[in-house]
Amino acid sequence: MSDKNSSNFKSWPVTLILGLFSVPLLVMYLYLFIDTFTNTAPGSLIPNELTFEHWRFLWETEPGTVSIWQVTLNTLIFASVMTLVILSVSLTAGYALSRLNMPFRRFFLAGVLTLHAFPTVTLVIALFIVLQFLGLYNTLIGVIFIKAALMLPFGIWVMKGFYDTVPWEIEMAGVQDGASRFMVWRLLVLPQIKPGLIALGVFSFLEGWSEYLMPQIFAPEADVQVLSVYLASLIADDQKFDFNLFKSIGLFYVLPVIVLYLVFQNKLMNIYGGGSKG
Amino acid sequence: MRQRIGLLGLGFMTPALVMVLVFFLIPVVMTAVFGFTNMGTATGISGGEYLLTPKIVKQLEIRGEFDKQSLTALSSNRYQVTEAGLAKAASDGLKSAYIQGLRDSLLGREYSSKRDFERALKKIKDRPRKVRALKKSAEYFSQSILNRRYLTDHEFKTALAATGVQLSATEFDQVLSASYTGWIWTTDNFTNMFSKPDTWVVAFNTLVYVLLVLAFNIGFGLFLALTTFYLPSGQSAFFRAVWLLPRISPPVLYVLLWKWLTWDTGFISTVLGWFGVPAFNYMLGSVGSAWAVVVLINGFVGASLGMILFSSAIQAIPKSILYASEVDGANRWQQVRYIILPQLRWPILFTTSYTTLSLLTSFEYILLSTEGGPGNTTNVWALEAYFTALNNYAGNLKYGYGAAMALVLVTLGVLVSLLYLRLFKFDELVARPKIEN
Amino acid sequence: MRILLDNFTKKFDDVMVINNMNLEVRDGEMMALLGPSGCGKSTTLFSICEIYQCNGGRILFGDRDVSNVTSQHRNVGVVFQNYALYPHMSIFDNIAFPLMVKKMPAEQIKKEVHKIAELVHIGDLLERKPSQLSGGQQQRVALSRALVRKPDVLLLDEPLANLDAKLRLEMRSEIRRIQQETGITAVLVTHDQVEAMSMCDRIALMDHGKILQVTTPNDMYHNPQTDFVAGFLGNPPIAFLDGVITNGQIQLKDSAIQLPLPSRVPVQPDGKIVRLGVRPEYFGNQAGIELQGQVSFVETQGRENLYDIRLGNGAVLRSIQPVRADAGLGDSVSWPLDTEQILIFDDQGQRVA
Ligand SMILES: Nc1ncnc2c1ncn2[C@@H]1O[C@H](COP(=O)(O)OP(=O)(O)OP(=O)(O)O)[C@@H](O)[C@H]1O
Ligand SMILES: [Mg+2]
Repeated sequence: MSDKNSSNFKSWPVTLILGLFSVPLLVMYLYLFIDTFTNTAPGSLIPNELTFEHWRFLWETEPGTVSIWQVTLNTLIFASVMTLVILSVSLTAGYALSRLNMPFRRFFLAGVLTLHAFPTVTLVIALFIVLQFLGLYNTLIGVIFIKAALMLPFGIWVMKGFYDTVPWEIEMAGVQDGASRFMVWRLLVLPQIKPGLIALGVFSFLEGWSEYLMPQIFAPEADVQVLSVYLASLIADDQKFDFNLFKSIGLFYVLPVIVLYLVFQNKLMNIYGGGSKG
Repeated sequence: MRQRIGLLGLGFMTPALVMVLVFFLIPVVMTAVFGFTNMGTATGISGGEYLLTPKIVKQLEIRGEFDKQSLTALSSNRYQVTEAGLAKAASDGLKSAYIQGLRDSLLGREYSSKRDFERALKKIKDRPRKVRALKKSAEYFSQSILNRRYLTDHEFKTALAATGVQLSATEFDQVLSASYTGWIWTTDNFTNMFSKPDTWVVAFNTLVYVLLVLAFNIGFGLFLALTTFYLPSGQSAFFRAVWLLPRISPPVLYVLLWKWLTWDTGFISTVLGWFGVPAFNYMLGSVGSAWAVVVLINGFVGASLGMILFSSAIQAIPKSILYASEVDGANRWQQVRYIILPQLRWPILFTTSYTTLSLLTSFEYILLSTEGGPGNTTNVWALEAYFTALNNYAGNLKYGYGAAMALVLVTLGVLVSLLYLRLFKFDELVARPKIEN
Repeated sequence: MRILLDNFTKKFDDVMVINNMNLEVRDGEMMALLGPSGCGKSTTLFSICEIYQCNGGRILFGDRDVSNVTSQHRNVGVVFQNYALYPHMSIFDNIAFPLMVKKMPAEQIKKEVHKIAELVHIGDLLERKPSQLSGGQQQRVALSRALVRKPDVLLLDEPLANLDAKLRLEMRSEIRRIQQETGITAVLVTHDQVEAMSMCDRIALMDHGKILQVTTPNDMYHNPQTDFVAGFLGNPPIAFLDGVITNGQIQLKDSAIQLPLPSRVPVQPDGKIVRLGVRPEYFGNQAGIELQGQVSFVETQGRENLYDIRLGNGAVLRSIQPVRADAGLGDSVSWPLDTEQILIFDDQGQRVA
């Protein structure tokens, strides 16, 4: 609404309440930045020294621990392969559900819709045992497939939504022009949903990059650790507690998220609006 | 032709179907299956073997249903030199002269105690010189079933019968099941679950957790959506960005920031310290503050979902209606109450049901923050299942019991998500494809 | 190539949309499928190109039964209402797509595309993207894409519905010109009678999945077989009066007025209930039987005015005639009705004469 000075409304009390509630968040994220390159005396909040020592984890690896770059690489592999799996599988399944005549179509649609709402964390115990059986416990590939599979109903649903917006006439025209349904999909429909593909891709990547629980349960060991597990285990280790170090690693960890988010903001909003996690 | 398109469709679906089968359907079924077993670290997940130990004999004795004598007989150790024992010893590389000596002088003899048998061995000419080697060689001829592994129940039954101990059929079965080391089918998980007082505490915690966080999510989400709608665009963009931060931050980092905020070395304690309030760990220090922190951690994340969904619903209300109401002299509160809120009924219903289900089953943020503490006071059902089955300090993981707890949630999840089919206008969603070939 | 629908039947699940339709489109002819919304025009069209599968009967192209031939092999060109251009391809690629799918050599594709682009007058637009074209230009591109692979049959589904009035006029004659130049057999779906009459050789008028009449535009206007056809064609529309045959004349309902039967009409039995159709141009212009009434509505159309005249019995006749000063709203008038031109239908709506 544009009429800000409308007589029947004063905006400052609302701004005040909103501001008060936002203080914790503002403080947390402000000090996330400040604390990574300053030192502060105990009992004070004003930094008294500028330093880069909290970032030494970038070039120093303590003996007996994994290098941050190895962990980052693991995270990158985890998030991007998972994204690839989700994209490729939901790209075809979404199209089939949206556009193709096939047996059990209704049933599949109902299934995807149901699974979309289904709380997947309840399955971790069974998945743990499945993974043990398959011999994929403590491997990246195992946790990649699990995370991808658990996000799949969501991915398929979103993809189907994008396909639904492509006009039928385009496909009809393609078929009339002599192209097979596969060619129509490949040459005429896929280019139309590229924005959707990018949005779902970025979203999945961010989900994978931030994921903690699945890697913690299915691939906790050092050589396959991802950043979330790495940071969590560092925090859990009572021996050397150092908020500034944790925050530096945390900032290092969250930077790609913020960048991707800023770039793809509008596209992501649509997907968030689709209701993915509580 | 219809056929071929059907095949293309099924082909396009196949990867998804396989993944859904392996990672959804099988796990759902397996959760149900595991829930009725006593699987755990102690039993392993593959099959087991039979091993009767003196400890088990003791336990059987304590039950008091056994004839004392037959138990003593079971645990008594009997030695007999047999060809089978000799062959085993030979294949393990014992000196052939010693074996020959045993065969010549002791074959077929029985001894009822270890001492007697070892005494007899010492009389063999080519016996091992070292006492330990001698004692070890005696074990080839032990006829006891104690401390021996039997891979199948057939082997074990044969061995049990071969001891010659007289057991009634029920006694026989009891020995059998008591010596089995693998997992078995059982409904004990559920009876235990409902009889343990802890379960009810956790269930109550879950209820409190879901209600409080839900109220915060919906209420504050609504507040955010409404205020950011009325604020000037610069301010509202700022507040929206701030409130999205928790959602886009990785959970580990987000909870880390809360720890910094609430721990005794953290921000709140520091600030209050200036006013003479002693440092205090609000996250773990007291039950009340722990609950407050848990609810806020989850609530701050969840509020943004409501904010996004409600905002877009408010944006969809035709501006002309709002202007008209303003001209009619409605103040902002009346506008919200009579024009905006009625339009939000459906998004609120959706968000509520969706959030309820995901809160019931989520435990990530609690795991990262209080881990259910202090004590067991902020523990919820899903977290308890996770601890039971996948992660506890004792290292004694009970997959079966954890699965039984998870099964409660899985059942709930299946039921509620089936309800979604009703909430959505499913028939519109499945409109048939317009190209029929 | 001629198209023959032979007892063609189409249903969606249980909904019968077209039941046993028979229709022949002659070789080289442009046929309009005309009818109100929802009558099954698009369904028929999409069945001819096999986007829909027919549930009964046969579809023949020439003498070949194509009922079981897929869309890809029917060799039909289709122009859709919203043009359905491929938004991510240039105009050239759009038009070339059907040839590319056929794996035609690039050189030849180029030649063919340019040839068709010249015919359709879009030779200078080939580098652009569809979004950079006006509606009329997009329409031309859609037409060239449909024609470029020399289809046996051209189908057009409301091709002008998305254009503004002026462009519509222009494209009407353009499409007709191109159809005539290529000599292709074409079927045009429309619910606009003017379009159908001005563009097509013959019109098939449909209602509720049935074909009511197939004939030339002129014949359909002057010799409608049913009152529905008479009412559908003509703008301003025909007016209907109820009557009964009395003493060999037509006695209007609830009125003393008696009209003579047109001379071409054979003798009708007394007591027969009839409906009279009077086109506006035959009332108030030529000589004839004077009818008294009151002007209940006047609509200015520029050169002419449209008048509604309420007769004594409440029935309304319509008249179109040059603007006149003596007839304002509410005035009583007495105007001639040319009884020779009255169309007479029975109580079932079938034409008597
Ligand atoms: N997929 C479908 N499922 C069920 N009924 C359908 C389907 N498609 C069309 N119909 C019905 O078939 C009838 C004919 O539809 P069709 O699209 O052919 O009408 P139309 O004459 O082209 O109308 P319009 O001028 O509005 O385009 C309509 O009553 C419509 O409701
Ligand atoms: Mg239509």
